[in-house]
Amino acid sequence: MNPGSSQSRLRSVASTLAVALTLVLAAAAGCDSRQEPALSSVQEKMRETHIYGQSKLRIGVATNEPLMGELRNGQHVGFDVEIARYIAASLGYEGEQRLEFVSVATEDRIPSLQGGTVDLVVSSFSMTEDRKQLVSFAGPYFVTTQEVMVPVRLKDKIRTIEDLRDPAYKVCTSGGSTTEAELEKHQVKTFVVKNVGDCVDGIRKGRYDAVSSDESILAGFLASFPKEFEIVDMPFGTSELLGIGVPIGDPALRDLVAFFLQKSYVQGRDGDASPWQTAYNRTLGPWLKAEKRQPQPLEVPKLVDFDDKAPAK
Amino acid sequence: MSAAPTATSGDGPVPPPRTSVPAADSPTVDGTAAGAGGEVAWPAAVPVAEPAEPVVAEVEPGRVRWDPAERRARASQSFWTAVVGVPAIFSVLRLGVEAGGELQTTLLLVANVGPVNLLAGFLTTAARLLSTGLVAVFALGAVLAVSADRLPPGTRRRPLFARWADITPAWVVLASFLLALITWPLLYLPLLLPAFVAAFQLRPARLHERVVPRLLLIGALLAGYGWLMLPTMRDAMRQGDEWLVLALIVVPPLLALFIAGPLPGLVIRPLASVTEVAVLATLIWAAVPVITTPVLPLTVTTVGPESGPTEDVRGHVVTTDDVNMVILQERGGVRYVPVDLVRAQVLCPSEEELPRHQLRIHDFHVEDSLLEGMGRRVRPVHRIDAACRTPA
Repeated sequence: MNPGSSQSRLRSVASTLAVALTLVLAAAAGCDSRQEPALSSVQEKMRETHIYGQSKLRIGVATNEPLMGELRNGQHVGFDVEIARYIAASLGYEGEQRLEFVSVATEDRIPSLQGGTVDLVVSSFSMTEDRKQLVSFAGPYFVTTQEVMVPVRLKDKIRTIEDLRDPAYKVCTSGGSTTEAELEKHQVKTFVVKNVGDCVDGIRKGRYDAVSSDESILAGFLASFPKEFEIVDMPFGTSELLGIGVPIGDPALRDLVAFFLQKSYVQGRDGDASPWQTAYNRTLGPWLKAEKRQPQPLEVPKLVDFDDKAPAK
Repeated sequence: MSAAPTATSGDGPVPPPRTSVPAADSPTVDGTAAGAGGEVAWPAAVPVAEPAEPVVAEVEPGRVRWDPAERRARASQSFWTAVVGVPAIFSVLRLGVEAGGELQTTLLLVANVGPVNLLAGFLTTAARLLSTGLVAVFALGAVLAVSADRLPPGTRRRPLFARWADITPAWVVLASFLLALITWPLLYLPLLLPAFVAAFQLRPARLHERVVPRLLLIGALLAGYGWLMLPTMRDAMRQGDEWLVLALIVVPPLLALFIAGPLPGLVIRPLASVTEVAVLATLIWAAVPVITTPVLPLTVTTVGPESGPTEDVRGHVVTTDDVNMVILQERGGVRYVPVDLVRAQVLCPSEEELPRHQLRIHDFHVEDSLLEGMGRRVRPVHRIDAACRTPA
């Protein structure tokens, strides 16, 4: 046995191993190419939701919050409505024939989801721990703060939370809102009405002196009556995370809504025109003091979709 | 270890070496009458088949058993028969499957799907399978051919793939590798490396005659490959359960260093038989999806009167004339929809196109082929229409 032959034998053994391993790898690759994706796909999630096969999607929106959700000439308009349209279209419900907007008052948002009269609620719905016991939330799709709006005649008199506590001023807010609880925490006595719009009407008629709510809602009324009101920046210290309300028994639908919000978020982050940015620019944008961006949605599931292979840049 | 056993086994079943036109009664290796087709006049465009290893053939005359002209004729005949016949048969089979097995629906499709469309549609879906089969045969064939001298004495004939690799012109082999390069998913492309090295017998010794520069060259090549793949490998590690992907990226280039052969004599016969069966089985197994892939694109058509309820019909549009749009529904059955009831129509992706891995190689998705990846660069935004989400 000379060294040359042992080397040649070694080489032929290495060749055999290489051929065998290549064949094994090729076989593994072949099996892999026929496997189902490990992650569930958007289409699979769709099949799990309660809306699958439903001919119409019913979305609860506000009809009396200018810029957010408003009924103007029989048409639903506003930031919430545009977000609702985007989510509906992503879920396969596009056009008036397939999408039904249901008017939902602030206090009816949870009962209407529980009672099944709507499939989703997009109506300045703050995500709070208490509410999460009753409904699920996808989002946030907007972060806002609590503010106070006063008529121009009082703009120099009501500047602080201390001023609000003055019994001389009647502070109004909508029932079942986070604002109501927050004011109570600061020992501000409030007059509780059904909608923020009622407060604004009341102030214009002289019944109340101030209204407190989310900045986004107040900005809407300021846009309607720019000469009569002013928003006062007060340090309430809480931020309101607005989310999309989903029935608590439908986690698949919640996941899908969160997934589509995330899709828009990623588009906006990469500098493209996202559906969120378009909705914001068309409604709230010009009326808010500070420029806002879409917040990152929370608890977004990883789902596989058809456009996953598209280039990232 | 020499060529003696094969060359001197003339008393066995292997016919003695022939150098000129054979006698009509001497059987060839596969038992057909020799000499047939030897006088065919060749058009200028038909390439001349070269034996894969002309040098070896000269040194070992015992391996040349056919007249070159006859061999060329046979190879060319079977090549063109396969090129024309296989797609035609597959296309007709696909139409039958597409029609849901219904005779009348099949006839409707036959009447409306043009042969060119059918062939083009077949090639777009079958190019991957076709190139895989060819690459496997040529790579295995070349390795077996170079090892054939080590076959134990008394062996009847050289392995089938080795004979195929011998008679195939180099341009066909190269073309199959090119086809594989542009149609295989990027993830599987590293496997093409050992296959290419095997098919063209590129031993590391070919890089440089001296050892040190040779090692440096190999190191540089591997480093370049590593630079290309490193971000993807990091992603795969982070995702945790992508071991196969990691193996597919890391192992093949290393195997390419050793794969060229020759193999030990003991292994050749079992390897040849096993791989022949395996390639055949794989082709059949992989042909099923090709037959069941739709011939026509999937659309959702919104149907309804001007003002009134609409309905979404999910299916493949067979044809449209002045009166009707004929839709082969996804769940089966043909719908004739009056043209003036058609409100909208969108193109939809099918669920088979969903990716299985969330990995990219320099922004090319690992499950895209080079062609698809380049296509996505030309049209980067792909919006799925809302109607495609609705149930069938």
